Amino acid sequence: MTSHRCAEGGTAIDRTDTVGFTVDGRQYFGLAGDTLASALLANGVRVMGRSFKYHRPRGLMAFGVDEPNALFTVTTDGVREPNVRATEIEIFDGLAVESQNRWPSLDNDLMAINQLGGKALAAGFYYKTFMGPVIGPLKGTRFWMMCEHVIRRAAGLGRPGTAPDKSRYERINAFCDVLVIGGGLAGLKQAHEAAETGRHVIVCELEPRWGGAADGKKESEIRQIVESLESRPNVTLLTRTTVWGWYDGNMLAATERVSDHLKTAPEGAPRQRHWVIRAEHVALATGALERPIVFPGNDRPGVMLADAGRRYTETFGVLPGQHLAVFANNDSAYATAAALRHAGANVRAIVDVRPEIGAAAQRLADRAGGALKLGHAVVGTSGAKGLKSISVARYNHETRSFSGGAEEIETDCLLVSGGWSPVVHLASQAGANPVWDDALQAFLPPKPDAHWSVHGAAAGDLDFDHDLSPAPAPVFEIGHPGKAFVDFQHDVTADDVRLAHREGFRSVEHLKRYTTLGMATDQGKTSNVPGLAIMADALGKPIPDVGTTRFRPPYTAASLGSIAAERYGDLFPHRLTPMHDWHGDHGARMYAAGHWERPESYNRPGETVEQAYVREAKTVRSGAGLVDVSTLGKIDIQGPDAADFLNRVYTNGFAKLPVNKARYGLMLREDGFAMDDGTTWRLAENRFLITTTTANAGKVMSHLELCLDVHWPDMRVHVTSVTDQWAGAAIAGPKSRDVLAACVTGTDVGNDALPFMGIVHGAVSGVPVMICRLSFSGELAYEVYCGAHHGTHVWEALMAAGEPFAIAPYGLEALGTLRIEKGHVTAAEIDGRTTARDLHLDWMLSSKKPFVGSAMMNREGLTDQSRWTLVGVVSRSGEKLHGGSHVVAGDRDGPGPGLGHLTAMAFSPEINAYVGLALVEDGGNRIGQHLYATDPVRSGTHIPIEIVSQHMVDPKGERMHG
Amino acid sequence: MIIPCPFCGPRDLSEFAYCGDADNLAARPDPAASDQSSWNAFVYDRTNPAGDHAEIWQHAGGCRRHLRIVRNTVTHAISDVTMPGAKA
Amino acid sequence: MAEPFVSTPVITDAAESPLAGHYEQGEFGNLDRGARVTLTERFALAICDVCAWPGSETKAANAIKRASGASVTKTKDAIAEDAQAFQHAPGRWSVVAQNPALPEALAKAVGENGTVVDLSHGRTVLRIDGRQSRRALSKLFPIDFRSDAFPLEKGLATRHHEIFAQIQRVGEDAFDIIVFRSYARAFWHALRKASEEVGYAVA
Repeated sequence: MTSHRCAEGGTAIDRTDTVGFTVDGRQYFGLAGDTLASALLANGVRVMGRSFKYHRPRGLMAFGVDEPNALFTVTTDGVREPNVRATEIEIFDGLAVESQNRWPSLDNDLMAINQLGGKALAAGFYYKTFMGPVIGPLKGTRFWMMCEHVIRRAAGLGRPGTAPDKSRYERINAFCDVLVIGGGLAGLKQAHEAAETGRHVIVCELEPRWGGAADGKKESEIRQIVESLESRPNVTLLTRTTVWGWYDGNMLAATERVSDHLKTAPEGAPRQRHWVIRAEHVALATGALERPIVFPGNDRPGVMLADAGRRYTETFGVLPGQHLAVFANNDSAYATAAALRHAGANVRAIVDVRPEIGAAAQRLADRAGGALKLGHAVVGTSGAKGLKSISVARYNHETRSFSGGAEEIETDCLLVSGGWSPVVHLASQAGANPVWDDALQAFLPPKPDAHWSVHGAAAGDLDFDHDLSPAPAPVFEIGHPGKAFVDFQHDVTADDVRLAHREGFRSVEHLKRYTTLGMATDQGKTSNVPGLAIMADALGKPIPDVGTTRFRPPYTAASLGSIAAERYGDLFPHRLTPMHDWHGDHGARMYAAGHWERPESYNRPGETVEQAYVREAKTVRSGAGLVDVSTLGKIDIQGPDAADFLNRVYTNGFAKLPVNKARYGLMLREDGFAMDDGTTWRLAENRFLITTTTANAGKVMSHLELCLDVHWPDMRVHVTSVTDQWAGAAIAGPKSRDVLAACVTGTDVGNDALPFMGIVHGAVSGVPVMICRLSFSGELAYEVYCGAHHGTHVWEALMAAGEPFAIAPYGLEALGTLRIEKGHVTAAEIDGRTTARDLHLDWMLSSKKPFVGSAMMNREGLTDQSRWTLVGVVSRSGEKLHGGSHVVAGDRDGPGPGLGHLTAMAFSPEINAYVGLALVEDGGNRIGQHLYATDPVRSGTHIPIEIVSQHMVDPKGERMHG
Repeated sequence: MIIPCPFCGPRDLSEFAYCGDADNLAARPDPAASDQSSWNAFVYDRTNPAGDHAEIWQHAGGCRRHLRIVRNTVTHAISDVTMPGAKA
Repeated sequence: MAEPFVSTPVITDAAESPLAGHYEQGEFGNLDRGARVTLTERFALAICDVCAWPGSETKAANAIKRASGASVTKTKDAIAEDAQAFQHAPGRWSVVAQNPALPEALAKAVGENGTVVDLSHGRTVLRIDGRQSRRALSKLFPIDFRSDAFPLEKGLATRHHEIFAQIQRVGEDAFDIIVFRSYARAFWHALRKASEEVGYAVA
């Protein structure tokens, strides 16, 4: 294959360094510094993609982020990243990419048959064919469901993979006085000016090199400014960094492609880095994007934006073709034609819709050579897999009329320039509506304020040198028969836009959704303005009256990996108790309860989880067990008003709780529903320690803080989270007192010294502990608290002291079993929909004082007899129950009406059956009823149950008071 | 969004938690004496203005104090931030 | 009435760091330009939260100075030779000291002017020092670490996702980070990961 590389030139490439890469498994070679686009162009590859609907062969059209056609899937170790623009993939040795949306290959795509049905696939085809009532087999939604599979395969872009992305990503926060977006000449100058005043400046450039559109033109000037910026400590320069989002308060999001261009990432470097930048001032220097002209056959490979052609030549030393033609409505393309002629190309013709041009353009046309066709338009192109010739006809752009016959001009590359659109995307994201400029035929950013400014081409300051005029003729489309594309990526033609108008779509937002114009991965960078112009024309309105759509983040696609950053994979933060490692060393299977890692069960060799937890629960009921309760929320409450405060937030009274005694407490929400339960320990006259459920610790803390900050700011109470200060071990079972007696020093633990709900201070193995006698399991039980750093020390001492009593550690499953047997509630029952009465906790509702929730808890709906209330259930068939099952009436053959649901289940060794807790309609009056627990979707079970009291074991509580 | 905390200075939205309508929270009825309708209003009735809205946010990932913030619900512009209960 | 104070000084022989088994000394990450930050766990310190009653902030600040040696005022954070303190919320200070008797000393000094909570077991103090410390910290916190925005001795509260953290600048390029003990290991790994780019030493 002939190389299209020029003998010299190319600011980005290293001609001494050859790089090998593959496309669809086929080996190619390029030069270090090449993009995939420039390397393929140099290899003479013309077809770089297949279009979305029609599978038309498509070639390279642009140079950068606006490229709509040349999309590839980058494959790395089985991980697929689809829809990456070839213009942004920097090649390295071993790079492997796949072409997209073709079958079997890019060059021979059998799906191109879709082109023959061109009319049928016009705008709205899917809606018209598939929406609406189902009448007959070939109409409506049912038909869609039949066809969807085939259509989804035939239309579309890249295919994502299913392999987990092993790349590393990271996030970084930055603050600066001035963020300059765009490292072209305008941006660099702006950065330099700001840096001179000592301000902290960050400059982001999405290309690997500085200079932007000036690259290749003003090398020494660029180098000079960059070197000066590099020497300053107050300047941060970031290349390969795309600022893609601008949010409230001048907060901007950017992606730095740190090692995408490298074969292997350097040690410690991520693949991409997500920047969150807070800037005092944003200086937009985002440049302008050249627009295509809409004409028949404008999507044939070989038709390229004019300035892209120049940049491939000057940046990479690759000529986009040997025999060029230019089609323009403005002066800028003349400089390009002259530059390419200078680089060795043969310029066949310059076709310009304007009947006359200025002297500056004329001079460049003379330099470029070739026929100058003023007052002409390109009306067609030909060539099977790439441009071979164009048809040119005389054209009056004011009357839009053609005259004379079409002339064929042989060319392998048509460079098109339809004017320039300043990149206003980011300003639009920030909330500023772009303003139409008639002279430039483009949207400009609105007037900036103190928080931002705009510079260079982005501000409409199109400096083309050579005294060229920046103003194009107002020509967006050549209305000649044939398929003329507006949105290349979504295959939207000019006729589609007009069809949408004929069918009544008047708003630009509706047009966009109906035709999907501008909704592909390029977000309409090349198509928005031409599409709008055609729509405005159809409506008979000027362009600014039609308006433009609001641009939204991201400006270019951002990988989800970079946004998730450290939240993905091994850095997800688990909360560990002080005894975490001990649990792991003793066979515990860990279970993630929110962020906490908790032991589920301590499986002995050969034991299933169920066998383990049943054994552990039996141990507690017969001897002694030890469970880690360090995860319980713990809040220190201090101050002269502490008792009064607790009286207000708990449903029951605390003012009379003696020092060194604890009490069970319940909190309601303002609306009268239950919020959380826990125990409150009075450690001193004005000092309490309250515990919350593990799940609600944060919620309760914030609730208390809200009450103190907002409702009762005069109360002298301080609250502090001490969850992590205390390691908690609950020892439970008939032998638990014996175990404590064997190891606790400095205090008596007998029934008189430590009665039910009593608190003592002592020591275990030389370490101070605080012991409270309370029970979640229903057995004689104690919670032993010590400083968290001493947690394992005390735990091991308790295990050692318990050895003669066959003590065993138990996990969440056994803890659950024990509490289910006792009918004790957790967050599964206090689920935000239940009241104190529903949970049989109404004995805790004080009538002697108001408290949070007291005013609302007696509302009609909250006291209704038919409310779901807590009951126990027992499986009558011996089948295992499933948490979350529906409790239903009915019979063995199937469910009847729903009556509630199971909140928890376990195998109860005491009852020798699978039991559970449930919230059941009018539950109090259903004791003894035979119902069913049905779980149709997950386990497919339908199990006969009996409704029983939630106190399934030791209903009088004799064991824990013993 | 950046919220200027009176104590901590301007901080990222991610440090804050929304807690509700400030004017509503300030009008908590007397729990002992008030009638049901004022409690119903307190718990359930909310204005939903397109424009300035007084809100309580907790600086949960900072000083943990609750802030009264006047925020424009259309533009997110914050025009006032105070710290209820601050007596210092 | 004298109330029993709930404090539990760290007893070295019985204490275990949450980083136990995860605190490997050496140099790690990208060492092309050497280890440009040093990470340290400062274990077994006394850590307290002091909260003044409204109007008593100055008295509470003076009490902290008397009890710990860190010369805080109502508006200024401070570092002393073996103690440090900073105001992380209005009238509320974190005090960290070598002296295991800090909780008692503070309780006595603060008296009726506020409350003291011993958090010596509940918090873990990590230090990052070195020219690139700000770079590593910027990956974890949405905080402006530039010198003028974060002056020496200043402390503040922030968070890394759900990991609540207090940070005090204790040197030209040195910061102490105080996190909840239960998150200490997770945060330690996050800090190490964030430091890999600049190379780090664990002292």
